[in-house]
Amino acid sequence: MTVAVEELTVRYGRRVVLNGLDLALDTGVHGLLGPNGAGKTTLMRVLATVAPPNGGGVRLLGSAITGEKELRAVRRQLGYLPQTFGFYPRFTVREFVEYFAWLKEMPAARIPVAVDRALERVGLLDRADDRMKTLSGGMQRRAGIAQAIVNDPRLLLLDEPTAGLDPEQRVAFRSLLRELGVDACVLVSTHLVEDVAVACERVSLVDGGRLVFSGTPAQLAAAGGDGDAGDSAIERGYTAVLRAARA
Amino acid sequence: MTDFHVADADLLAWAENRLTEPAAWSVEAHLDDCAACRFRVPATPALPPAPMDLPPRGRVRRPTRARRIRLLIGAGPQARVAWFSAVAVTVLLTLTVAAQPGDRVPHWLLLLVAPLLPVLGTAASYGPRSDPMAEMVASTAYGGLRIVLWRTLSVLAVSLPVAAAGGVVSALGSPAVWLLPCCALTALTLALATFTGPALAAWVVSGGWFALVTAAHGLPEDTAPLVDPPATPVWLAVLAAAALIITLRRNHTGGNTRRAYR
Repeated sequence: MTVAVEELTVRYGRRVVLNGLDLALDTGVHGLLGPNGAGKTTLMRVLATVAPPNGGGVRLLGSAITGEKELRAVRRQLGYLPQTFGFYPRFTVREFVEYFAWLKEMPAARIPVAVDRALERVGLLDRADDRMKTLSGGMQRRAGIAQAIVNDPRLLLLDEPTAGLDPEQRVAFRSLLRELGVDACVLVSTHLVEDVAVACERVSLVDGGRLVFSGTPAQLAAAGGDGDAGDSAIERGYTAVLRAARA
Repeated sequence: MTDFHVADADLLAWAENRLTEPAAWSVEAHLDDCAACRFRVPATPALPPAPMDLPPRGRVRRPTRARRIRLLIGAGPQARVAWFSAVAVTVLLTLTVAAQPGDRVPHWLLLLVAPLLPVLGTAASYGPRSDPMAEMVASTAYGGLRIVLWRTLSVLAVSLPVAAAGGVVSALGSPAVWLLPCCALTALTLALATFTGPALAAWVVSGGWFALVTAAHGLPEDTAPLVDPPATPVWLAVLAAAALIITLRRNHTGGNTRRAYR
């Protein structure tokens, strides 16, 4: 298992954000669905080793992170795109991605090619020498995706990566996801149900800090009936599972 | 079979995709039926070359050690702009004091400001408030204490010469000893920041330094106990204690969180 989470609990002050959540992920593209405030971003941050858990076990890439050595080893193989991110204003797109290649301790000789390859995969190679601030919001997000994939991570965490992408870019992004999912564990958090239906092999649904569904998109779609709200089978399944979890 | 055959020129044009749609249809309809013409279809000798729309290589830098240091140290949050202005003000103050040997500008002002420069610069270098990329940097192998130390190093490289110049010009204490509170206060900020985050740590350390200098200001002008050689062991002790705290709590540095990830 690339990701094995057991009984994960995270609190911010008195508020319990994740409440005994279990999750097991292997290679492939996984969708993480859930209403706003369900704990998706917090889960992403714990898996990105940015936020510490209050309780429960987290094993990433087969290692329980007990010390600094393991932490660094895991982080070298990690890609993370937060929901919102900034950048240093003087950076060009290429420098932005190169900076993260160095931070992720990639072998120096590989860096120039890896940076350009990552930019090419997100369709930004022709803007590589432009400053980050001259890019549109969708392009900045694609640059963010490029820094996440520059080190060919074994665990790739993308928090709302399709926000701000136009429909055409979303289609391109989905095919990139499928490519990446061949040999990495990709976890995509989103509130767009159709992203999951098209691009993901498995879906996990989080509500109220707990995992309430895990299965294929088809299984999620099958959970819905005619009486459930939604425009598509998978949306009806989504509302049905949420209603059952809250009952 | 039919008596009619497609002209050579038309076949070539069809193969090269130069025919109009209706003409291409009629050629294709004929090719479906006529094996003789199918054999005559040229092996697309003149297909246009694949478009070479790859962008030029642009400014790709060689991945040298110098490039690594330049990027890891040189790249930093925008908040450093505020710090650079603080450095500039201190340089101005130093020049003013140097130009006017009289007491128009009190010399202890320099002692008040100069050792705080690296403190402010360090606090502006990391943490979720100052660093727009803190969240992403924190998830990398280099995140945490290591990148923070690199950035602190770059801040010290600029601040220390300014502080030393302030020491020479102000004629308070011994100029070499001026560097000690600079380093000790910076280390103290880093140590305190593992508990409170860098912003609050910088406030606390600055406040403490203000109180110390103001208290010492009551003493006769020619004694400056904070930067006199006898103060050296005290500053070294502070520096060592702060370094110890930083080492012990290294997992608490630089991330978006005050708690360790384990």
